[in-house]
Amino acid sequence: MTAVQPLRAEEPRHSLRTEVLEARPVNLDGFVEEWPEKGLVAMESDFDPQPSVRVEDGRIVELDGRERADFDFMDSFIADHAIDVATTEASMALPSVQIARMLIDPGVSRSEVIAVTRGLTPAKVLDVVKLMNVVEIMQGMQKMRARRTPANQAHSTSARDNPLQVAVDAAEGALRGFAELETTLGVVRYAPLVAIALQVGGQVGRGGVLTQCALEEATELELGMRGITAYAETISIYGTESVFVDGDDTPWSKTFLASAYASRGIKMRFTSGTGSEVQMGNAEGRSMLYLEIRCILMAKGAGVQGLQNGSISCIGVPGAVPGGIRAVAAENLVASMMDLECASGNDQSFSHSAMRRTARMLPQLLPGTDFVCSGYSAVPNSDNMFAGSNFDTDDYDDWNTIQRDLQVDGGLRHVREAEIVAVRAKAARVLQALFDYLELPRITDEEVEAATYANSSNDYPFRDVLADLTGAQQVMDRGVTGLDLVRGLEATGFHDVAENLLTVLRQRVSGDLLQTAAILTADFTPLSAINDANDYAGPGTGYRLQGERWEELKKLRHVTSATNPETEVD
Amino acid sequence: MTTLDAPVERTLTLRETGPATRGTRPDEVVIAVSPAFGDPFTQTIVGVPHAEVLRQLMAGIEEQGVGVRVVRVWNTADLAAVSHIAARLSGSGVSVGMLSRGTTMIHQKDLPRLSNLELFPQSPLLDAPVFRAIGSNAAQYAKGQSPQPVPTRNDQMARPRWQAKAALLHLKEFECIRADAGPVELEVTIERAAG
Amino acid sequence: MSGRLVVGVDIGNSTTEACLALVGPGGEVTHLGTALTRTTGVKGTPASTEGALTAVRRVLTDAGRRPGELDRVLLNEATPVISGLAMETITETVITESTMIGHNPATPGGEGLGVGTTVSVLDLAGHPGDEPAVVVVPHGWDFDDVAAALNTAVARGVPVVAAVLAGDDAVLVTNRLRQPIPVVDEVSAVEKVPLGMRAAVEVAAPGRTIRTLSNTYGIATVFDLDPDQTRQVSPVARALTGNRSAVVVRTPSGDVTDRRIPVGVLELRGEVRTVKVDVDAGAEAIMDALARVQPLRDAHGEPGTHVGGMLAAVRDTMADTMDDGSGGAPGDIAIRDVLAVDTFVPAEVRGGLAGEITLENAVGLAAMVRTSRSRMAAVAARVSAELGAEATIGGVEGEMAVLGALTTPGTRAPVVVVDLGGGSTDAASLTAEGVCTAVHVAGAGELVTKLVDAELALDDREVAELVKRSPLAKVESFFHVRHEDGTVQFFDQPLPAHVFARVVVLSPEGPVPIGTRHGLDAVRRVRREAKRRVFVVNTLRALRQVAPDGDLRRLDFVVLLGGSALDFEIPDLIADALAAHGVVCGTGNVLGDQGPRNAVASGLVAAFAQGIG
Repeated sequence: MTAVQPLRAEEPRHSLRTEVLEARPVNLDGFVEEWPEKGLVAMESDFDPQPSVRVEDGRIVELDGRERADFDFMDSFIADHAIDVATTEASMALPSVQIARMLIDPGVSRSEVIAVTRGLTPAKVLDVVKLMNVVEIMQGMQKMRARRTPANQAHSTSARDNPLQVAVDAAEGALRGFAELETTLGVVRYAPLVAIALQVGGQVGRGGVLTQCALEEATELELGMRGITAYAETISIYGTESVFVDGDDTPWSKTFLASAYASRGIKMRFTSGTGSEVQMGNAEGRSMLYLEIRCILMAKGAGVQGLQNGSISCIGVPGAVPGGIRAVAAENLVASMMDLECASGNDQSFSHSAMRRTARMLPQLLPGTDFVCSGYSAVPNSDNMFAGSNFDTDDYDDWNTIQRDLQVDGGLRHVREAEIVAVRAKAARVLQALFDYLELPRITDEEVEAATYANSSNDYPFRDVLADLTGAQQVMDRGVTGLDLVRGLEATGFHDVAENLLTVLRQRVSGDLLQTAAILTADFTPLSAINDANDYAGPGTGYRLQGERWEELKKLRHVTSATNPETEVD
Repeated sequence: MTTLDAPVERTLTLRETGPATRGTRPDEVVIAVSPAFGDPFTQTIVGVPHAEVLRQLMAGIEEQGVGVRVVRVWNTADLAAVSHIAARLSGSGVSVGMLSRGTTMIHQKDLPRLSNLELFPQSPLLDAPVFRAIGSNAAQYAKGQSPQPVPTRNDQMARPRWQAKAALLHLKEFECIRADAGPVELEVTIERAAG
Repeated sequence: MSGRLVVGVDIGNSTTEACLALVGPGGEVTHLGTALTRTTGVKGTPASTEGALTAVRRVLTDAGRRPGELDRVLLNEATPVISGLAMETITETVITESTMIGHNPATPGGEGLGVGTTVSVLDLAGHPGDEPAVVVVPHGWDFDDVAAALNTAVARGVPVVAAVLAGDDAVLVTNRLRQPIPVVDEVSAVEKVPLGMRAAVEVAAPGRTIRTLSNTYGIATVFDLDPDQTRQVSPVARALTGNRSAVVVRTPSGDVTDRRIPVGVLELRGEVRTVKVDVDAGAEAIMDALARVQPLRDAHGEPGTHVGGMLAAVRDTMADTMDDGSGGAPGDIAIRDVLAVDTFVPAEVRGGLAGEITLENAVGLAAMVRTSRSRMAAVAARVSAELGAEATIGGVEGEMAVLGALTTPGTRAPVVVVDLGGGSTDAASLTAEGVCTAVHVAGAGELVTKLVDAELALDDREVAELVKRSPLAKVESFFHVRHEDGTVQFFDQPLPAHVFARVVVLSPEGPVPIGTRHGLDAVRRVRREAKRRVFVVNTLRALRQVAPDGDLRRLDFVVLLGGSALDFEIPDLIADALAAHGVVCGTGNVLGDQGPRNAVASGLVAAFAQGIG
């Protein structure tokens, strides 16, 4: 090339700084202007209804400006099942600003707040949280979170649906501190093997970890009933009747499904989030947060103990409008205000910018929620079959450092490599033995070795997919249950893992995991809103990161020793 | 030499010629566009001009020796509905339906509305060669052949970049719906822009 | 309760079967049930104990019995058999100097023959007006622009006679030309087409094949060749036969060659002599060599070849399996049989410009190693310890299979059973005098899967396995399919979208599409040929070894057993082949209700009962 590039006359010259800024990852994210008439607005919209309620003969006959005759099925369900008819008129009579202040006033207890919020309509709840800025929302969350001890949840999946990868990453995740582990599939037929791997790997990492496998509803329920999984979460609900109907569902059908889980003592929560309705073009002119509040009340009315929310898979929508992430923080708070367990999002790819990814999660990490992430990717995002999380394995050390910097408990801890390698090796061997016992396709010693040291699915030898799928079908055909897994673990000499799994399964009978926000500690003590109720009442109260746990969180990969600065703390 | 330079600008003219009718030729594919396609929108979510989208879809069909008709569906912007309406108008029973932002589907008249032959949901990842391949596959289905499905791409970071814009485009497209208007036949003219 | 509760256990290559029965004082047998499970580890080794225990426990549970009630566990003398597979491509087609393009694109443009000089579309403007042009169009050219460039040249007086395109644009371009010409497209390496050379482009009408460029003398006529040159182009014509379109470029020493790839030597050691045979000589030569050295004592492949690697791997696996940690020699471990099968593997032509695929010759090989040494005693000891019942090694597999097969209604001695398995095909015969002989030959179901996978270029063992197991159909609409026998079946509910217009396997779980451009008939032919070349050939080989004097006509009853005897067409293929020899052949029905399953386990019980009675 000899010619000089011709200057394009119409292009204005750019400053060098603009070029630098243009290249910043944040500019790969998408941002849009609000359009309140269509519901493309976070939480401040003139088109949301005004709060109102009227009770006649023990029945709500007017809700947020709508007469009973004009109710859609969401209104009916909420009016009849979610709102406390006895207290609603008194609660609604309180000025919103007073309720908002109660939320952050350390002198007002959590149960006093709940006595009021149980009588509020969706529009009133919105009116209350609209008064709160992000710091106040966090203050509210600190008090209203159901469980005193915060926790975290992980995704453990594999781009190749390799059960071995799921098992060892589940074991590592459990060891690092996740209280719940969740998986899903690329090839759905793999589900039985992967669900078994998750369950077993989890129990190797830390006894008492709870697992679930996200699938279409019937299979997910069946795996739960068989005791191959321990809880369920991916039961989606929506804020408008039209979106519900598009999915061939109603609040009643979802409630029926919820009771099916409860009948077997299986923990479950619903899933919803801001942005889903406008994403589908059926927001009916309401703001994202207003519609999400309807979902939260619907969940309350269905009697489930908890909700996964925080926009979840629609995070790109609130993330693109002004104040959207404030609205997301507010929806988590509303779930907690309604006395539900809140698994608070941070579980989907959110931004190209590391700064934005961090800022988006602070309103959950700082006050603590029941599960700060409802899916921190315990595998590299390339292996994340939930389409990527806001955080993945590459972020472990950053997360641990932020916990240490701010002295907050985000549910994780640094673990030395030797321990991680040991637990991965054990999880791989346990799954190898169990597959042999169950006459499932062999896991070779070479695979065990690879799994012990692997990072991503690319580091594993290929499995015989045909044989695996046949094996997966056999698991279903032969009616393998959680007890068969226990039996196999015992027969193959892994008594401790068998004991862990059996103890988790016993919770079905005691029903302790049906209590709000229940998790199991390493010694199988259920921690829930019953026995570990959030008792925050201002400075010096509630959950404090101190003592043994704080010592644990002071550890990082590299900390220079004070005793001998030439060495690092082990 | 013009071809390897910057893409040639072409103008798209869509002239309504009357109500769309059911085709009788077994060797045709019907392309259905959504209410806002071409006007007021002129390009997909990532800026592929609608003129080029339609030109490539039609070329893919023509290369297979199959005929093509283009219709506009007015009363819905639901991709499955747009595509299924077109499939029922198509003499072969095969159609390509598309929304203004680029989301595309190959449909067949005997399928349930919510099913499809091939679906391309990630509109930001569809470029001219993909539209050509979609047209080609639709024509092959019409001939009773078994084309390999056009590979679908996936990008986890499409969500932060495009999810909200897609919602916005969807809402705008909804605004252009004429609930009481039936599908209309379109005469397509694609010309090089002057200059 | 009178009678003794016994269970026969057959540890096979892939499945372990159990047969539970009550044997009365007079030897009368009451069958209580059967069970089937997957064999753990290699049969006959201690690792296979687990599967045996599972099968016994399962049959006991099903019959409502406890292990404590068991009187005796009867095990077969299971000699470990391990088999291996390898495939070697032995021919390679090479095009030099980009002489021809023969990839047969789905949609070429125009029709007829165009002969001229190759010129890039970029240089078309300077092309002389008296020189017929074959225009070569690189990637990145839009069809509208190509058509415009060609029309401009024609208007200027250049005789444009044909075009060769990189993109899939042939029909689009010809539709826009004022004068139609033949156009070949999808030539991915179009930049390698030599420019300034004489070239011919031919496109036939739809449904027809080219006539000139597939004919040696046609090419000679087009390029005005002398007899020596004509001899040289004959491979080109042959390579283009059957195509709808083609391009031939006349270059100074361009050529198409069909080259043999040396893939090493197979050394077959027999009892009396050793024969070396080149693997690239093909299956027939290998099987002839094998026949000359029979009985085979061992076989070795040249190190560094697939065959050598496979044979070594099979031997090593057996050595590892038989290593009991005593440090002792692993006994007699040798390749005892080899089956070679000719096959075709689609492969990309070297030097091709458009990803031309040609069917190259290949040889598929199955080998089998068995050892004289059995560790069944260890298995029996562990079974006995676990179940608290006496466990005895009750008989040789082949004999027991015969005894079990004789429970098939309508059979009697003398009889031959053929067990069609996954890795090996086994035969055992029982004469009227009660003399039993048994043989094992290499090659069975797994080789069939490999042949299907390779010949259809599926590169997907899962689909190949499905093709092997179930019949085919063509999905003609959402509401009907045409089965491979031509019958049509209609459905009330629409079929799933992903099978529309495809050739599918009708698996028990529903129709599964096959990712191939082949039609139903081609897939069916490949499947049946693979089964014939493995199972029919092996059954005949095995039967010749057990038949009196190797004469098949002297066999009366042949009973087919084993997993592959459940196949929907293999028994018929074998029966057809045997019918010519006057043999009664059918699939066994052990105990009258077990089909071809459970023969050895049932035979063990029968042998035990005979011992009492």
